[in-house]
Amino acid sequence: MIRLESESFAYDDGVPLLTGVSLAVQPGEYVVIAGASGSGKTTLARLLAGLVGADAGSTFRGSITLDGQAVRFRGLPTDPRIDPAAWSAAVAFVAQGAWAQLSMMSATVGEEIAFGPSNRGMAPERLRAAVDDVAAALKLTSLLDRDPRRLSGGQLQRTIIAAAVVQRPRILVLDEPFQGLDEGATADVAAALDALREGGTGVVVCEPMLPRSAPDMARVLALHDGHPVFDGLLVEARGAGLRRYGIGVAGDPPMPGTGAALGGSGDDAGYSGAPPGPTGFPSPGPERIAMTDVCFRHPEDRRTAGAPGDAPAPPGLSGVSLSVRAGEILAVRGANGSGKSTLLQHLNGLHRADSGTVVVGGVPILNQPTGTLATAVGYLFQDTDQQLFERTVLREVSYGPRAGGRPRVEALRRASDALETVGLGPAGEAHPYELGFVQRRLVALASIIATGPAVWALDEPTAGLDEPARTKLAALLALHARGGGAVVMATHDATFAEAVAHRTIWLEGGRIRPAPPAHGR
Amino acid sequence: MPRRRIYNPLTELLAAALLVVLVLVVNRWEFSFAVLVLVVLPAVLLSGRIRQISLAILLVAGPLLLSSLLLHGLFYPEGRVILLDFGVARVTQEGLSFAAVMGLRMGVFTGVLLTVAMTLDIPDLLATMTHRRWNRKLVFILGSAVGILPHVALRARQITRAQQARGLVVGREPISRFRALLTVTTPLVIGLLVDASERNHMLQARGFSSSVPRTSYLPDTDTPRQRWARRGMAVAVGAFSVLWLGAGVLP
Repeated sequence: MIRLESESFAYDDGVPLLTGVSLAVQPGEYVVIAGASGSGKTTLARLLAGLVGADAGSTFRGSITLDGQAVRFRGLPTDPRIDPAAWSAAVAFVAQGAWAQLSMMSATVGEEIAFGPSNRGMAPERLRAAVDDVAAALKLTSLLDRDPRRLSGGQLQRTIIAAAVVQRPRILVLDEPFQGLDEGATADVAAALDALREGGTGVVVCEPMLPRSAPDMARVLALHDGHPVFDGLLVEARGAGLRRYGIGVAGDPPMPGTGAALGGSGDDAGYSGAPPGPTGFPSPGPERIAMTDVCFRHPEDRRTAGAPGDAPAPPGLSGVSLSVRAGEILAVRGANGSGKSTLLQHLNGLHRADSGTVVVGGVPILNQPTGTLATAVGYLFQDTDQQLFERTVLREVSYGPRAGGRPRVEALRRASDALETVGLGPAGEAHPYELGFVQRRLVALASIIATGPAVWALDEPTAGLDEPARTKLAALLALHARGGGAVVMATHDATFAEAVAHRTIWLEGGRIRPAPPAHGR
Repeated sequence: MPRRRIYNPLTELLAAALLVVLVLVVNRWEFSFAVLVLVVLPAVLLSGRIRQISLAILLVAGPLLLSSLLLHGLFYPEGRVILLDFGVARVTQEGLSFAAVMGLRMGVFTGVLLTVAMTLDIPDLLATMTHRRWNRKLVFILGSAVGILPHVALRARQITRAQQARGLVVGREPISRFRALLTVTTPLVIGLLVDASERNHMLQARGFSSSVPRTSYLPDTDTPRQRWARRGMAVAVGAFSVLWLGAGVLP
């Protein structure tokens, strides 16, 4: 149905990528394009979506054949132009970064999902029925009247996927669609994709790791540094030794030994690979975090409470109490929108409890400005791009120490050291936006390391990471905990949490609840 | 609590625009004053957003009124009846009178337009325009222009929060707030530009450039009666304007 033959692709006449890559997707097929950060999988996905980048100075040599009609590109200004309206009617594309994919014309989730078919003139009755069906399949029905800009990360991701699925394309290309989704939402999205495939849609999914579960006969095209290193069935790919290319298997615990690929110390900065677990927990240190009976409602919830027709606001917190000691790593788990980020943001003062107390490092969080708490608590946002704002990586990482009162020279030294620690030493003068997603995530982590807080609050720290970065992160967390720090991380990554965290708490509707039977510890 | 909506937003928007045209055409302070008292004031009082709209009117119309008063009150070239003489500047009766007329007119403009803009049901307006087969690019420009404001505000708030999480201390003093504003500007603009580039691809990927007539997810709240009323209002104001101006009834 669609065939891509790539001789080469280059951004701004840079190093040629995707040399000798061939990919064909048949009706109903499920193809995984796997590769570590910088492998070229996003570039390949964009080519399938008809975004050859000629208008942005990129050069593509090769051909794309859709339904028997071949479009040939020679990397010349006279190359044909793809009609985006016609192409997208057959090939739908969900890029990374859900926020930038909002139409900005829709006040509700329902309108956002309907945006594509309404552009193609679908009759209103059919349009509403199609939106209702997709919303039901992806568990979005209760969110249809919500403002899409105010959804949690996972809810927004599902909305953007629903907006693509509702178009019933013949080919659906998704770049890391499961990033930031909880287990239930992942299963819902997978089921929606299965339903599409049964209708004949070919599905292409880009992933940094091989999926743990995928449809039977799923195919894998693995890329490394822009070149194909494997093409075959998923079951074969798992035994093909792709780990040497930085391609692990999702759901596997972090693998010691691979973190050195990031330029670490070679021993993964002290991570032994053995799950810390209860036996790995060091002797209890002083209490770093104490939350006692914390209740919180979001401001929008307070404003709209009781107003007729208003959609329910996201849950706040209700009676949350917890204690984290020095040397401890705590995982916070729960479905999308269960209040994990809200809990984390109480630790550094971004949210203030309506009632109850929050004490960090022995200091109660009361009315002091949030900025004054940055030296005590480092926060990694779920959306990294919210967090980066300087014009070079080095300035970015040195911002925290400078804001914390360190002299400029010392701040820069700490920033350089932190960048070395995460394996980004040579990238100091680059603009953060010039880096790939994983590198930007590591810059954000380096900025916390450079500031040196004892408590790290990390929101979905493994989302979108490839195996080397994930293993590196595990090593850094273990090292921080052993040095007397404390870590609280909100995560959907069950195996990472089980391998790295000493204990896990579960949230549901803003309350701590007992662990599900399958997750006893 | 927001007022209960009686008319389609397109009808409300057209009524506001025609009212502005009438004030311009009639050009009498009595008429402007009557519109201000009999239309704008009740509309603001019934809007359910009295505080926000009053503040917006004050912020927009206040500086305009002040500058008009200073300019025309002190330097009106055709002023004859001098009330105060400062040498280079003279306060004249004609100047003050002209400043009052202009100020009243500006007050009506800002009052009418801001009240409508701040109470319009934008999704309903866009849906009506789509149902009426307006040009989709025009609808998008209007929709995204309105939608981008809360988007920018939200994004700016997120960046400020990220900066605070990294050590930026925002105090209550205006200087501290101004410095925080400067710090947020660069990442905000860069982020919006990156988003805009990605959004352009997204619009294409979701068929925005299709040539078939666009449909709307929201139901059509417009009625044939209101459509006729809009046409009638436009024709009536057009005819009145031609007659009024043609008859030379000008001050």
